[in-house]
Amino acid sequence: MIVTRSWLNEFIDLSKVSNKKLYKTFNSIGLEVDSLIQIEIAKKVVIGKIISCEKHPDADKLNVCKIDVGSGIRQIVCGAANVVDAEYVAVATIGAVLPGNFVIKHAKLRGVESEGMVCAASELGLPDMGKGIMILDESIGELEVGREFGSYEKIEDTIIELELTANRGDCLSIYGVARDLSAALDIDMKPFEYKQEDKIKLGIAREAELRNSAKMDADLHYKLATLESISKSFLVQLRLAMVNVEAEGKLASILAYATHTTGVILRAYDSRTFRNGRNKISVNPVAKAKGIIEIIGKEKVLSVVGVNQQEEAMANDETKNLLIEASYINSDTLVEAVSTTSLKTDTLYYKTSRGSNPDLDFGLAFFGYMMKNQSDVSCYEGSLNVNVERENETVIVDVNEISSIIGMDVEIGKIVMILQKLGFEINSMGHEVIAAIVPLFRHDIKHIQDIAEEIVRIIGINNIPAKPLAFAEKPRLNDTTERYRAKKEFKNRAVGVSFYENVSYVFSERALLETYGFSTIDETLELANPIAEELNTLRSTILVNLLNAVKRNVSYSKKSIPLFEIGAVFGTKREQKEVISFVFSGQVEGENVRNAGKPQTIDFTSFTQKIGAVIGAFELVPCTYDNGLIHPYQSANIIVEGKVCGFLSKLHPTVQENLGIPETFIAELDFDNLLPKHINATPISKFQGVYKDLSIVIDKSLNYYEVAKVLNTMELSMLKDAYPVDIYQDEKLGDKKSLTIRFFIQSMSKTLEDSDIETVMGQIMNLLQSECNAELR
Amino acid sequence: METMDKIIDYFVALNFAVESGPMVEDDFHNFEALNLPKYHPARDMQDTFYFKDGGLLRTHTSPVQIRTMLETKPPIRMIAPGSVFRRDYDITHTPMFHQVEGLVVDDKGKVSFANLKSILTDFLQYMFGDVEVRFRPSFFPFTEPSAEVDISCIFCGGQGCRVCSHTGWLEVLGCGIVDPNVFKAVGYEDVSGYAFGLGVERFAMLMHKIPDLRSLFEGDIRLLEQFR
Repeated sequence: MIVTRSWLNEFIDLSKVSNKKLYKTFNSIGLEVDSLIQIEIAKKVVIGKIISCEKHPDADKLNVCKIDVGSGIRQIVCGAANVVDAEYVAVATIGAVLPGNFVIKHAKLRGVESEGMVCAASELGLPDMGKGIMILDESIGELEVGREFGSYEKIEDTIIELELTANRGDCLSIYGVARDLSAALDIDMKPFEYKQEDKIKLGIAREAELRNSAKMDADLHYKLATLESISKSFLVQLRLAMVNVEAEGKLASILAYATHTTGVILRAYDSRTFRNGRNKISVNPVAKAKGIIEIIGKEKVLSVVGVNQQEEAMANDETKNLLIEASYINSDTLVEAVSTTSLKTDTLYYKTSRGSNPDLDFGLAFFGYMMKNQSDVSCYEGSLNVNVERENETVIVDVNEISSIIGMDVEIGKIVMILQKLGFEINSMGHEVIAAIVPLFRHDIKHIQDIAEEIVRIIGINNIPAKPLAFAEKPRLNDTTERYRAKKEFKNRAVGVSFYENVSYVFSERALLETYGFSTIDETLELANPIAEELNTLRSTILVNLLNAVKRNVSYSKKSIPLFEIGAVFGTKREQKEVISFVFSGQVEGENVRNAGKPQTIDFTSFTQKIGAVIGAFELVPCTYDNGLIHPYQSANIIVEGKVCGFLSKLHPTVQENLGIPETFIAELDFDNLLPKHINATPISKFQGVYKDLSIVIDKSLNYYEVAKVLNTMELSMLKDAYPVDIYQDEKLGDKKSLTIRFFIQSMSKTLEDSDIETVMGQIMNLLQSECNAELR
Repeated sequence: METMDKIIDYFVALNFAVESGPMVEDDFHNFEALNLPKYHPARDMQDTFYFKDGGLLRTHTSPVQIRTMLETKPPIRMIAPGSVFRRDYDITHTPMFHQVEGLVVDDKGKVSFANLKSILTDFLQYMFGDVEVRFRPSFFPFTEPSAEVDISCIFCGGQGCRVCSHTGWLEVLGCGIVDPNVFKAVGYEDVSGYAFGLGVERFAMLMHKIPDLRSLFEGDIRLLEQFR
C-alpha cells in the first residue's frame, strides 16, 4: 500500500508531524515502511503560462512557445507534442539544476533561441506520468505564474510505501491509514463532508430497479447518472502515478482514485447493459453460491461482486449513462468461495480478499465529490441499496487480562481511548471490564488477544519493559537433545579427521537415483510441484548430492575433497531416516615437503581408518548393498555391534570417470545405529596376561571374518582378544594360505601357568580344525 | 550449521528441550492447527511443496510445536530446529533452509509479552554482541499480539547502509503470544504462552557476512575451509 503525505493530510492534520516521526510511528504500529521517498523539486522551476505556441520553422516536431514565467516572458522551444493543449506548465528556467546534474542554459535549437525547458514529470524526479509534458491545473492549488513549482505541498510530497500484513485490509486505503495514524498520534480525523447535489430531481426509482433474490451476503449501493463530459485533473494523474496505480481513461482513473482514497470498491457500468424490454434499468444480483454474487443484466452475468466485471459492461469516457456500484462482501466468505471456482479475478480482488471498506455511502459520496470537480455530470436522486444485516462482533475485555498478556499494567481509560480512536464502540460492563464492539472494517478482530495486539501496537512495544519469566524448573534433557549432542560429537570427530561438513537439499533427481539403482519414492507419493527437474524428488541417499559437490570442487581445482553430511533420506513410502555419509576424493593429504608435493591418493585403508575415527569400532564383511556407486571388489558392509548399518566402498570406476573426478571412496551409514548406547563395565583382571601366536593353513577362499565368527562361538573366559597379524600365500601352498592369529589370554583369578595356556590353545586349534578345516603350519 | 549450534546451545543452557518432527507433513499440522485455515490469505506468504497424495513439505518448524503440544502436557519449554521448505530460489531464498522455533507454555496469565521481550533481547545480544533490539508489531496467524524483531545494523552501526536498505535496522525474527485458536486446536485450556521463530541461514549470512545464501548448500570447500 502506497500513501502520500499530502493525501493523508486530507483526512488528518500532519502539519506538526515530521517525516521522521511519521516513519517511526508507522513502524511502531505495525505498518512497516518499505520505503519513504521525499520528493524535492529543483529550484528555479516555476509555474509558467503559455502565451503563444507556434510550429518551429525548421523542425516538424518542435514548437516555439512564448511563456510567462513571472519574471518576464521567455521564448522556449519544446519538443513535446502535447504542449499545444497546455496553458499552465512547469518551466525550468535558466540556471535550474535538474536531476542528473542537468543544468538549464541558454540554447539555440535549429536556429531558434530557447531560454529554459518545459518539463515532464520524470525530468523533475517525479514518478513517470507518461508521454509529454505536465499540463497543470488548479487541483494542486492556485496557479501563480512565477511561483516555485516545489512550493506546492501536493508536488513536493512524500511517498511512503507500507508493507501491510495480511490481516490489515482496513489499511488498504488512504482513509484507513489515516485512521490508524489518528489513534497512534492522538490527532483527530478531519471530517469529510460532501452533500451531493442531485441535479436531476427525478428519483432513481423512476428509471431503475433492483431485483434481488432473498438471501444475499453482499452489500450493494447503486447510483445513476448521466455524463456530458469528463476531464481528469493533474492531481489525480500525479497521485495515481505516485502510488503506482494504473487506470486506462479518465473515468477509470477517477474510480481508481476514489477507491484508493476510501477503500470502497467502486465500479461503473454502462447502464444500457441493464436496460430491459420494458425499457427500465433492471439490476439483478443473484447469489449463485455462498460468497459468489453475480450481477445480472438482461440475463447476462455482467460482474461478480468483489471478483471481476465483464468488459462489455464497463463504462468508459464516452459512456453517457452511468450506473455506479459500490459493493462490500465479507472477505473470508469471498476468498473461500473463489478458491473453489475458476473465476478470473481482477486487480480489485486484492482489496476485497483482504477486506474492503463497508462504508459504501462514504465511497459513493467521495466519488461524487471527485466527479463534480472534473466533469459535467447529472445524478438522479437517491440510490438503490441492498444491505445485509450484519452483526458487529463484541469482545468482552477484562483489563487485568490485557495487562497479564502484555506483562505491564495498562489503565482502563487508556484502553478505552485507544479503542475508540480505532473505531470501536465501548460499553462499560462494570469494574475493569468493558465490551468492545468491533467495527465492520476490522473483520480480523475476534477475541481478547486481538484487542491486546491493538493496545500493544498503539502504546508501542518499545514502551513495554522486558521481564524475565519465572518458571517452575525441571530437567528438559530428552532423547532429541541427546541425539543432537551425539550428532555434534560425530561432526567434531569427522572434522578432526579432515572432513568438511556439507549441507545439501533433501531433494534429488528421480532419473539419477534410478540410474544408480537407489530406491525412489512411490510414484503416487511423489512431489507434485518440484522447483526444478534436478530437484524433483526426495533423496534416498546423500551420496549423489555429495558426489555433485565433489565434482563442483574439482572444477574449482581442489585436489583433496573430504566431505560428510548428516541428514534425512526417504524410503519408498516417504518414511524418513537419518544417515551419515562420507566421500573422500583425490589426495589423502595436502601437498607438503614431507610428501615431496606428491601425496598419496586416498585408498581403502586410509578411508577405513578415517571412518573408524568418526564412528568408533566396526567390522567389515563382504558388501551386500547393491547400487551403481559401489565398486565390484573394493567394498564392504559396515557392522557395528553385530548389526549391518551401512557400507563403504571405492566409487565405481565408470561413475568416477563419468563425473570426471579423481579416485574416490564413499560410505553411508544409518545414524540411528551409531547412537551411543549404555555401557556396563566388565571386571578387569589383576593378573598378567600372555600373547600367543598361532599360524594355520586354510583354504584361500576363507576370509578372516569367517574364522573370527568361529572363534566368537567359543565360550572361553580366558580368551580376551584375537586378531590376525599375518596372511601369506605362495605357489607351494597352492589353493591354501597361511594365517597367523595373535591371541591374548588372561585369567581373572590367577597367574597363568604354561599348562593353562596350552589347554586354551589346544581348544582353539581343535575348533579351527573341525570348523575351518585348518592345519597347523 | 555452526550458527545453528550456537543458537541451540543458548536455549539448551536455559533449559529448553530440543524437539523434532517429520519433514513431510500434513495440512493439519502445518496450517490448520496453526490458525491458517484453507484459503486464508496468509497462506499466500508461503509457497508450499506438495505431494501427489496431498502431503506437503513443512514450510516452517511450527508443526513441531503442534506435535509436541499434542503429545505432552504443559508446562512446555522447547525449541525445534530443522529444515523447512519453500518454493523459492534466488540470492536470498533457497528451496530448503533451516529454522529454529521456540515455544513456552504455562498457566494462564503467567506468560506475557514482556517475558518474550526479555528473552529475545538477551538472545540477540548473545548472538550479535552489543546491538540495539527493536520490536515492531506485525501479524502471524498463530500469534496474537505478534511482532517482528530488528537489530541495529551490525554493518553500519545503525547509520544506514546497503545491507540494511539505509534503515539502520535488520529484521531477524518473528514472535508473539500464542493465538488462542492454536491452543484450541491442540485441546489446551487455561494456558498462556509465547512463540518465536528465526531463519538460521539469515543469522549465518549476517554473522559471517556471506553474500549469497545459495552458496551454503553447494559444499564449496573454499567457503567451508574458512569455518574450520
